[in-house]
Amino acid sequence: MPSTEQLSASFRDPSGFLFSRAGILYRQINRAYSNDYARLMDSGLYERLVKVGLLIPHVESDQAPADAQRDAAFKIIQPERVPFISYPYEWSFSQLKDAALATLSIEKRALKLGMSLKDASAYNIQFVRGKATLIDTLSFEIYQEGKPWTAYKQFCQHFLAPLALMAYRDVRLSQLLRVYIDGVPLDLASELLPAKTKFNFGLLTHIHIHAGAQKRYSDKTVAPRSGGMSMQALTGLIESLEATVKKLSWKPAGTEWGDYYENTNYTDSAFEHKKQLVKDWSAERKPKLVWDLGGNTGVFSREAASSGAFTVSFDIDPAAVEQNYRTVKAKKEANILPLVLDLTNPSPSLGWDNRERDSFGARGPVDMALALAVIHHLAISNNVPLPQLADFFADRCRSLVIEFVPKSDSQVQKLLASREDIFPNYTREGFERAFSARFNIHKNEVVRESERVLYFMEAR
Amino acid sequence: MHFSPLPYLDPGSGSMIIQLAIAAILGLGVAIRASWGSIKKLFGVKPKPEEEESDSDNA
Repeated sequence: MPSTEQLSASFRDPSGFLFSRAGILYRQINRAYSNDYARLMDSGLYERLVKVGLLIPHVESDQAPADAQRDAAFKIIQPERVPFISYPYEWSFSQLKDAALATLSIEKRALKLGMSLKDASAYNIQFVRGKATLIDTLSFEIYQEGKPWTAYKQFCQHFLAPLALMAYRDVRLSQLLRVYIDGVPLDLASELLPAKTKFNFGLLTHIHIHAGAQKRYSDKTVAPRSGGMSMQALTGLIESLEATVKKLSWKPAGTEWGDYYENTNYTDSAFEHKKQLVKDWSAERKPKLVWDLGGNTGVFSREAASSGAFTVSFDIDPAAVEQNYRTVKAKKEANILPLVLDLTNPSPSLGWDNRERDSFGARGPVDMALALAVIHHLAISNNVPLPQLADFFADRCRSLVIEFVPKSDSQVQKLLASREDIFPNYTREGFERAFSARFNIHKNEVVRESERVLYFMEAR
Repeated sequence: MHFSPLPYLDPGSGSMIIQLAIAAILGLGVAIRASWGSIKKLFGVKPKPEEEESDSDNA
């Protein structure tokens, strides 16, 4: 039998877990969860949620259970594979907001059919066909009359607190999710939020008063019991969370917003030429998965995606990623995923035993990567020597489309204006020498009306 | 009454208590809204057809 590996991200919930066998992902459902699973499938909830793209579809499988928990097994299901797993600290404001609203929408639909979400983890949401989708089929439980919402605290920590901090304080505070794996502690959120948020009923109750209550009862035990949590009260709670989230908004300030590509130093003709080259080379290579590293608002990601590839468009700027995501939504694009990522300090592996959330590198390598107008930032602003850059890209992708921006380029001159030029090897020849050590350079073209060169290469 | 089985996540004592308090108030709103139609009817206002949650509200 092919080897079976339990996935390290799904060990917490006794209802079941994920494992992979021969490259296919399965979810084992344990007997303890059989009644809840039956209700999910029989009530019509599964069908309704899948129909509107709120829940990942699955098929029941006749695979043998995972060896480790053979006796607990009730059923094995095979969920649809998500093209790229992303994490909340890589999402823009609207992505986290949509993930929050999807969670609440699922809970409302579940309540109507006698079920409820037993957890509300942001890590259970992934972007599938451009939409926030629940990927944990085992998140539902049969609703018990009078029972409070077990996931309330988790929802506030994973969604409401970071969204409020991003909207009211600074959008970069989404990075707190990278430090706190179970969401932003509410006392911290309460402290960091401006005082005016106490005049917002939702934030006052769900964050400030909530944080106070957590502190007051921190050393007392209260068994989860019926305290008059009627269905009406529960509905009121979910609707209040929904209204609070809906009211939170963030618009990138400053002149950059909306005209990124007007701040470039090359002509329309050069821009179009670059687009054409990316399109042609992608069509030639036919990659399944592309990473656009430094993708900005996703113009070139879309050229790569036109070959049919699923393209993840990474950028360090949350405003560019926000705009990219809004385009995905407006145009209903199914194969573009914009994400926030700092290439000089990419997402690490996190969580228990550093195995719960994969690092950026561990989620590769991919068929093809684009690195357009980015090398001068890495080589000059971040002082990474060219051979190390070649190693980095060769470990991440099989084919690479990379743009060399020479020192004479005004953008590079800007980077060098205020510092010593300690980069004698940063030349076209030096670049080709360094990258030839790890790649076969197939093509290179000088971008029309510019000094920049676009390369198409294959990792050795 | 206690619920079984206990949740696998710790819902947190403070979170549980505050949730019950907040929800009690918010539930009142839901109750009033639910009976709003009949209140309006008392004053001779015709009820509008009830709105169903749209199937594409994943926004």
